[in-house]
Amino acid sequence: MEKSSSCESLGSQPAAARPPSVDSLSSASTSHSDHSAHIKSASVISSDSISTSADNFSPDLRVLRETNKLAEMEEPPLLPGENIKDMAKDVTYICPFTGAVRGTLTVTNYRLYFKSMERDPPFVLDASLGVISRVEKIGGASSRGENSYGLETVCKDIRNLRFAHKPEGRTRRSIFENLMKYAFPVSNNLPLFAFEYKEVFSENGWKLYDPLLEYRRQVLSWIHPESQATITRCSQPMVGVSGKRSKEDEKYLQAIMDSNAQSHKIFIFDARPSVNAVANKAKGGGYESEDAYQNAELVFLDIHNIHVMRESLRKLKEIVYPNIEETHWLSNLESTHWLEHIKLILAGALRIADKVESGKTSVVVHCSDGWDRTAQLTSLAMLMLDGYYRTIRGFEILVEKEWLSFGHRFQLRIGHGDKNHADADRSPVFLQFIDCVWQMTRQFPTAFEFNEYFLITILDHLYSCLFGTFLCSSEQQRGKENLLKRTVSLWSYINSQLEDFTNPLYVSYSNHVLYPVASMRHLELWVGYYIRWNPRMKPQEPIHSRYKELLAKRAELQKKVEELQREISSRSSSSSERAGSPAQCATPVQTVV
Amino acid sequence: MFSLKPPRPTFKSYLLPPAPPPQDEDRSIPEPKIKKLDPVLLPGEIVVNEVNFVRKCIATDTSQYDLWGKLICSNFKISFITDDPMPFQKFHYTNLLLGEHDVPLTCIEQIVTVNDNKRKQKILGPNQKLKFNPTELIIYCKDFRIVRFRFDEAGPESAKKVCLAIAHYSQPTDLQLLFAFEYVGEKYHNTAKNINGIDSGSGGIPGGNSQKTPLFETFSDWDREIKRTGASEWRVCSINEGYMISTCLPEYFVVPSSLADQDLKLYSHSVFGRRMPLWCWNHSNGSALIRMALIKDVLQQKKIDQRICTAITKSHPQRSDVYKSDLDKNLPSIQEIQAAFVKLKQLCVDEPYEETEVKWLSSLENTRWLEYVRAFLKYSAELVYVLESKHLSVILREEEGRDLSCFVASLIQVMLDPHFRTITGFQSLIQKEWVMAGYRFLDRCNHLNRSAKESPLFLLFLDSIWQLLEQYPAAFEFSETYLMLLYDSTRISLFGTFLFNSPHQRVKQSTEFAISKNIQLGDEKGLKFPSVWDWSLQFAAKDRTLFNNPLYIGKSAPCVQNGSVKSFKRTKKNYSTNYTLHSRHR
Repeated sequence: MEKSSSCESLGSQPAAARPPSVDSLSSASTSHSDHSAHIKSASVISSDSISTSADNFSPDLRVLRETNKLAEMEEPPLLPGENIKDMAKDVTYICPFTGAVRGTLTVTNYRLYFKSMERDPPFVLDASLGVISRVEKIGGASSRGENSYGLETVCKDIRNLRFAHKPEGRTRRSIFENLMKYAFPVSNNLPLFAFEYKEVFSENGWKLYDPLLEYRRQVLSWIHPESQATITRCSQPMVGVSGKRSKEDEKYLQAIMDSNAQSHKIFIFDARPSVNAVANKAKGGGYESEDAYQNAELVFLDIHNIHVMRESLRKLKEIVYPNIEETHWLSNLESTHWLEHIKLILAGALRIADKVESGKTSVVVHCSDGWDRTAQLTSLAMLMLDGYYRTIRGFEILVEKEWLSFGHRFQLRIGHGDKNHADADRSPVFLQFIDCVWQMTRQFPTAFEFNEYFLITILDHLYSCLFGTFLCSSEQQRGKENLLKRTVSLWSYINSQLEDFTNPLYVSYSNHVLYPVASMRHLELWVGYYIRWNPRMKPQEPIHSRYKELLAKRAELQKKVEELQREISSRSSSSSERAGSPAQCATPVQTVV
Repeated sequence: MFSLKPPRPTFKSYLLPPAPPPQDEDRSIPEPKIKKLDPVLLPGEIVVNEVNFVRKCIATDTSQYDLWGKLICSNFKISFITDDPMPFQKFHYTNLLLGEHDVPLTCIEQIVTVNDNKRKQKILGPNQKLKFNPTELIIYCKDFRIVRFRFDEAGPESAKKVCLAIAHYSQPTDLQLLFAFEYVGEKYHNTAKNINGIDSGSGGIPGGNSQKTPLFETFSDWDREIKRTGASEWRVCSINEGYMISTCLPEYFVVPSSLADQDLKLYSHSVFGRRMPLWCWNHSNGSALIRMALIKDVLQQKKIDQRICTAITKSHPQRSDVYKSDLDKNLPSIQEIQAAFVKLKQLCVDEPYEETEVKWLSSLENTRWLEYVRAFLKYSAELVYVLESKHLSVILREEEGRDLSCFVASLIQVMLDPHFRTITGFQSLIQKEWVMAGYRFLDRCNHLNRSAKESPLFLLFLDSIWQLLEQYPAAFEFSETYLMLLYDSTRISLFGTFLFNSPHQRVKQSTEFAISKNIQLGDEKGLKFPSVWDWSLQFAAKDRTLFNNPLYIGKSAPCVQNGSVKSFKRTKKNYSTNYTLHSRHR
């Protein structure tokens, strides 16, 4: 062990004006580019002792804070609405990368926070409770050996956190209980933190999406501006073993076809492997028979179900956290099949986009239920087809529309605040979608207005429960919970500091259709997300600040262009009065930096 | 190397444009193009053979996109001239020397002729006979391209002649038959015209805003480098002027000030290739990087070694020790690298696309190519640590000091010195550590197709630079495109930069050539060949802007300099922990 990063956060975070401190953001103030902290050996913990005896621990936190200067320095910054629920000093965080470090562990109603002044700069670990999927006790009171008694939390964002408590300190039990209570509020009939978070942003993200403006017909996702070809989504037809037919459904498909004058055919994309679709017949579902749906062609896209995907992510976590076996890295990665799944999703979306763009054909997309794979496919196809969705606001609207409004069951798939970590309904469906988007940004680095940090922020808040955006499982539930009034939207936060999320290389080609290459030769593992906790894999340069410089430069140049244009037009208008000729010197404003 | 099976799809079209209207279906009958299709020729370039009504195959699963035109073979390239627009691909840049469908002869690896009717195939070597009229010509290129032509509508005899001409001219037996000689000869004969290229021996101006690339052919280039790095205890040594001592060293190089010319001359007899210690670079802390061949004289070994090390220690302001690094023992060999490359090429070129797709990652791992990239990065990062944190001078030792030393010496300097991350700096580094230090470009690039000595070490180096660029996206002035075009340039036999095994070979061969062609050299040491660094020969100013990395932060920004140096240490950690050197199978 030698040099290490001082805290487990993204290396190059900007210090936000009002940071809603999720793990990746809050440590900005202590995050140093100077990784010079030397790791003290783990033995320090047993040989060193701090003046206040651990036996004096009092649940009254004020007393603790007044009597312990060190603990005060190791307290977390708090968000409006956030308050400290428990605090334990002399806790050791067993960092898998930089070794054990001793400090103060705090649990609030929003986060788990660990800070150690042992290192310079101080070591900070800051995670929202929302990312925790499981908390376990390790070792008993009789456990021998250093750091064998404590807690381990398994997180949804590809890491595990392990803390060792002093057996005689009696801090473990209370931390465990508080974690179980506040990390899983839903299981304890407590509100999620999003309902307590009181922050006001300059923009209200809830007002971003107006469904009436965005779509004209129920479940119609997108309509091609020229050919009128459409992307429509639904769930599987209820065919069943007997081969039931639905007159209404057949008519509906005919109507979709008729509304697109350029083609007499319609493509039905079934996201599933065909075997699974057949198997679904036994449960009353199934797929469209070609007899019943004339002029329709059915294509299976071979994308696996939520259980296969969950297992694949589990395997991926195994090979990336905490240690990476360098010599067999690629074959290990291959054996997780993660990239293969990503490839199939991208390839499916690509076929849909191609049918609509080149074939001028309308398509209908479905899987079993119509809110998992279908959402992945339609939203990705729309990103490929329509440059609007590649802007920051457009992307936010895409998520609102294809994911939230059309009922991706976030609560069920993520399990916000629910202690039932083994729930078979959990699955990384949305994560895969964001991964596919990231793959596209890699292949088209200038086509997206947002940067990688934007995507990571969305994923962090998918779990954090700080914002109301990804809560609940349907529009109806969200209305019932009155999320718009009672919580803050993630887009409020993001849109209030766009400069952090903007890609300086973005050039708006709104009419370009993007066809990413869905090949293993081009796909890569998203290291910046899946392996970000490993300090060795962090961005090794302050690339984020470089982005900001470039953005500032671009804004400056753009301003100059505008000034010059004004000058030209004022000159030419004064000269044209005399010469009587129109000014023909419009310069394109779009600058490529 | 390549199987004689019909070539596999190399271009898989996922997204075919709308099917052509039905009347186009019988396009197999070509409309004879009456319009004259003329090749664009360079000075000294002549057309050897040509054939009309040739079909260039674009996709392997359909002939729908095939192009019609004329195939010519010149003494520089094969050229396919067509009026049809190229489907699918749009290049963002145009090479001024080569058209879209041109392949320089030095880029050709293998020529396969096919006759479908007689079900015959033959790999064509130089001076071979062909007993059948080819209906198809497949050209495997060194840059992984596969180019296919069909002669169904072409004159059978002229098709055959063109195939034989390509086979003959792409596999020359003598260095002086490479096109650069013809080109330069023509230039010297027509100095009055003074077209581009004649004065380009001194390095070009990349991007339009940088200074010239030092070529390290002169005393002053080395002297400037000593001053730039603050290596005050080092001096430029001229004992090899006229290549009097060693034919694989530059005429000028840098040695410890305390080593006298007389001693160097004496020691040189005991060293492989008479290669005396060469200074590469100085760290601001005074540690120096030196490269040297092994001492072959066992009796003298210890003594000479000690004398040289003492001299290096004396040149260190803190009189620090010398760290000796034996590259042959720590890094993959030239042959292993070649073997990995062959496997990589098979994976990318030979194997069926769909089948490799499933096992792509593990197949890639099995080639060991990336493992070798990593080995060089890891090892160089360790030496960076020695130089920077341990304040020790490092001496790179290798049997001849002309292969792995070039790679490791340059990689260390890129890691430590932001100057070498600029375009001009990087080019000067390649001049200093590869071209002038006697890397055998002729043999390793296999310009004369005698495959025994072939090895893609230079490509492996550029790959490792690309990896650094991925890890440090703002640290380099140049872009991925630049690296790619730089590598492509090693396959263009117009330039002198990557054509020779040593600077001496250039002087010797071109002097011979000049005499045979009655060219007056005057004071010049050999012919001046165009330099790759004169990028204006290949690309217009607008296209050269693609060389620039928009994220580049500039070498003046001090925080980045620090950050990079520090994080490069982390690179070392990346590679050193969790990594056990695999046992090498020998």
